[in-house]
Amino acid sequence: MRPFDPRLLRYATAARWFLLVGALLGLAQTVTVIAFSWLLSQSVTLAVTGASLASLAGTIGTLAGVIVVRAVLVWLLEVASTRGAAQVKSQLRRQVLDRVAERGPDWLSGHASAAVSTLVTQGLDALDNYFARYLPQLLLAAISTPLLILVMLSQDLPSGITVIVVLPFIPVFMVLIGQATQSVQRQQWESLQRLSTGFLDLVGGLGTLKIYGRERRQYARVHSITEDYRTRTMKVLRVSFLSGFVLELAASLSVALVAVSIGLRLVDGSLALGVGLFVLLLAPEAFLPVRQVGAQFHAAADGLAAAEEVFALLEDGDAGTAASSSAPAAASAASAAASAAAASAGASGPAEDGVLRFEHVTIRRGTDVPVQDFSAEFRPGELAVVVGPSGAGKSSLVAALQGFVPFDGRIVLNGAAQTPGTPRPWLAWAGQRPGLFQGTVADNLALGDASVDLGTVLRSLESAGAGDLDPAIVLGVAGEGLSGGQAQRVATARAVYRATTHDCAVLVLDEPSSALDEAAETVLVVGLRRLAREGRIVIVVSHRPALRSAADRIVALTEVAHV
Amino acid sequence: MSDFRTTAKARTVAGTPAAVSAEMRAVLRFAQPSARHFAPGLAAGVLSACFAVALLASSAWLITRAAEQPPIMFLSMAVVGVRAFALGRSAFRYLERLASHDAAFRQLAHLRLGVFARILPLAPAGLGGTSRGDLLSRLVRDVDDLQDFPLRVVQPLATAGILASVSVLGVWLVLPAAGVTLALSLLAGGLLATIASTVLSARSERLLAPLRGTLAGEVLEVVENLDVLSAFGALDARLATLAAADDRLCRASLRRSLGVGVQGAVLSLFAGLATVGALWVGIPALSGPGGISGPGFAVVVLVPMAVFEVFAVIPLALGVWRQVRSSAARVASAVPTSVPAEIPAESVNVPTDAPPDAPTTTSVGVRPVLELTDVGASWPGSATPAVTGITLRLAPGDRVHLAGPSGAGKTTLAQTLVRFLDYTGSYRLDGVEARTLAPAEVRSRVGLCEQRPWLFDDSIRQNLLFARETATDPDLLAVLDRVGLGDWAARRGGLDARVGERGALVSGGQAQRIALARALLADFPVLIVDEPTANVDEEQGDRLVRDILVTAQEDGRAVLLISHTPVPDDLITARVVVPGPAR
Repeated sequence: MRPFDPRLLRYATAARWFLLVGALLGLAQTVTVIAFSWLLSQSVTLAVTGASLASLAGTIGTLAGVIVVRAVLVWLLEVASTRGAAQVKSQLRRQVLDRVAERGPDWLSGHASAAVSTLVTQGLDALDNYFARYLPQLLLAAISTPLLILVMLSQDLPSGITVIVVLPFIPVFMVLIGQATQSVQRQQWESLQRLSTGFLDLVGGLGTLKIYGRERRQYARVHSITEDYRTRTMKVLRVSFLSGFVLELAASLSVALVAVSIGLRLVDGSLALGVGLFVLLLAPEAFLPVRQVGAQFHAAADGLAAAEEVFALLEDGDAGTAASSSAPAAASAASAAASAAAASAGASGPAEDGVLRFEHVTIRRGTDVPVQDFSAEFRPGELAVVVGPSGAGKSSLVAALQGFVPFDGRIVLNGAAQTPGTPRPWLAWAGQRPGLFQGTVADNLALGDASVDLGTVLRSLESAGAGDLDPAIVLGVAGEGLSGGQAQRVATARAVYRATTHDCAVLVLDEPSSALDEAAETVLVVGLRRLAREGRIVIVVSHRPALRSAADRIVALTEVAHV
Repeated sequence: MSDFRTTAKARTVAGTPAAVSAEMRAVLRFAQPSARHFAPGLAAGVLSACFAVALLASSAWLITRAAEQPPIMFLSMAVVGVRAFALGRSAFRYLERLASHDAAFRQLAHLRLGVFARILPLAPAGLGGTSRGDLLSRLVRDVDDLQDFPLRVVQPLATAGILASVSVLGVWLVLPAAGVTLALSLLAGGLLATIASTVLSARSERLLAPLRGTLAGEVLEVVENLDVLSAFGALDARLATLAAADDRLCRASLRRSLGVGVQGAVLSLFAGLATVGALWVGIPALSGPGGISGPGFAVVVLVPMAVFEVFAVIPLALGVWRQVRSSAARVASAVPTSVPAEIPAESVNVPTDAPPDAPTTTSVGVRPVLELTDVGASWPGSATPAVTGITLRLAPGDRVHLAGPSGAGKTTLAQTLVRFLDYTGSYRLDGVEARTLAPAEVRSRVGLCEQRPWLFDDSIRQNLLFARETATDPDLLAVLDRVGLGDWAARRGGLDARVGERGALVSGGQAQRIALARALLADFPVLIVDEPTANVDEEQGDRLVRDILVTAQEDGRAVLLISHTPVPDDLITARVVVPGPAR
């Protein structure tokens, strides 16, 4: 992993500011370190040679001033990194979400959605450590270390050369040890992962183990899993910790080398004490940022990994970005033209009959072709039930109707061709997953509307078989607080509400009764028939006999051969 | 996501603060290794820290003494010392990390066993919301995070404390007044940094946590329901709400940023003050009667810098301490030491080592195997019973469909019948009141296929074998055939095929079938099947229900099938409907 990803600067402008401010503060900090060391070595040298406290008061006073400035700079650097982290996180988060919204649900389904939301919340929080502990040290290593070495070289050439000779050992050994560790870790990684999740697996399955009377035997297993984890991890750590050892050793050995060499040259009088002390104080400071970069690397790695995941998400399919981002625009222009054409043509043409037609629709997903050459007609006033085995492309067909997936062929409503990526004001839909939100049940039903029509809410709940549900119930995040069956009914009611208030021509329900009992299912069928009678196209994807027997039309999908 | 919910939960569940801190201390005791295991790491850490200070002290002494140009042999000890301290410091640091990690990992076994022992009587019903996947993994992560307590809290704080005392003593021996200024600076700096860290960070966390939680909720809803939001034309409005939440969090973080670096600045300031203090008291002592030597003076002036470098770990350790404390609080509240009254004690009335009653052989059709009269049950912490008034009889060969609307307490009843929950009314098993039997004894006769069967991250063989350990491979293959998984298992590469973490490599329907295969292997006389079709699509669900009932019919097993979806009449012998929840 690279210590710094330049893409951070491209995607997060706040990172640029932070680097600039951080570099200036780092430079100022280095100057205070040099001043502090100089003033301190002068005070000690003069005092040893007999200067009185009074005559040194000026030097010590300046020293105290430098100390205060240094403390303020330490504080400012931390403030800058905290602010940088907060702004960068916010910028990256917004870009990811904008990208997700732009690319649409079909693209998102290729990425685990839970992983995406974890990434942009907790995942990005790992950047705090990257900014607070790692990046400032990286800046200091780049600014402070060379500057301090230059000062040492100018004061005492041998000491400066000692540091220059020792310093490169650090990266060399780090790389060597890193490689050795990597091969050890590769060997152990999978088994370590399994062992670390072993306890979770056991605790989670405790109910099952109790059912089979096996729970008491697990003590030995917990113990052996954990002991095994310990011995294997320690094997890895013995090697991993070597890199820390080398860092510490290089830093302290060079201080020792500098001290001994200065001491010997002081004895023969070829060096002044003031210079010797000054250089001795600078030597450990030159190593400090490099040591910190090594020590904080693991703390930073998580944040950097999260940022890289974000970049990967932002750049996903970037080769095709130009095409895909211009596609919706082109498509909407085309559809505007098409619907305008259809409107003008439809005014006289017989095609404006309110019928929804699928004409030779084929849907491709990678190498899969879930729907091939599908043609069907759905008429206003009819309840149509779509049946077919799992994998026959029922949900893909619904997604195509919604405009979420590209397709070949035509989907025509009332004479107007419907293209992917355009809004569907004529469509009300409920999917297999309820997809509810925080707020009251009534708010959920009126999703996308500015106001809530309580009468329609009650009627919609009624026809979805959820008439006993209080619309004022407040749901938690993601609709928490309802049982699976209740959530499904609310989702159905939401589609019904939209169909009623927006006077949608088409209502599509994807497996609305999979979690309903028979009584609720009967109520639902009655409600759907009524909605169809009002002149709507009602399409239900279902396998339930009750719905099939109530259908005016049954459309059967068969599994198509996978290419 | 789970973070803020769990925190909120921990706060509400956690009764009085005093009670929690006692529970918390009990949890933390599990995490701290015994003195015997902890000492080597601590000793190595203290030596490493002392050597770091000694390296600077001996270097300073060496240089200042050399400037006096003594014969070189007077310096040889210091030269050896400087080199030895440089080597020793790194070597002991390496040993410290090895020894303390080894001790912490050793303790993890005790920690996990201790928590496991507390979970055991509670699971699964007493874990409440914790049984939900994300909260459970949170709990386990919290337990594992407690390792940080010895490693990143106790060890660095103890090392810093011991080093500070040793250094103060050393400096005091050279020049008592300098020892006093060093001690005062360390005390004042440590105290102020601790206060700044505790007050400012805690307040900032208190302010930011709810904002972070709101944002996480918003993000989750938008990302997971992108299709819904697009379909209802509500996406732009939601993105605007999300941006506002993000803005609030960002602005609050910026406001809090001023307090963040204070600890580091305070320590840096006091490190400098200690040096100035040493100069202040040291310079007069150089010339005074009975004063100190030049090299001694240099040591006294430079040592504070090295001590404060070790002291810099304190703010970090305190930050980790806050995290460890909330982990411990969550563990303590999620896994209470006392078992709630709603959970039957594991060994009530029956000594565990007493031989279980010989299984009563029941002649078919003569005696009901399982008889419920007006049974009700409640979940821990809930004021109202989740299910009441259930009366039913289940004789060998009976296949009863228990129907009822969602929320009527069907799953509660299933958990009650295997004694995960206590009951009111009468529940007789072969004529014996279940309350008088050990829960384990009840579970040897009444089996349960759970709504979400748990598959262990292991092979298909291991996932079946714990149901009957004596089963041979042909037995296992035969039972897989019976539940309709024969071809599937063969395609996957036989019994050694892995099912993945939490059954990730198998579908909901296949997981149910594996659970059924386990139940068949264990050969329970009575089998409860809880909502087998909940996570299966309609078509597969219907086939699954048929397979469950047909295998039961073949074996003459009594089955209570809990399902909200319709079941064909020809497959069952009776139907019981649970009335909806009382409103």
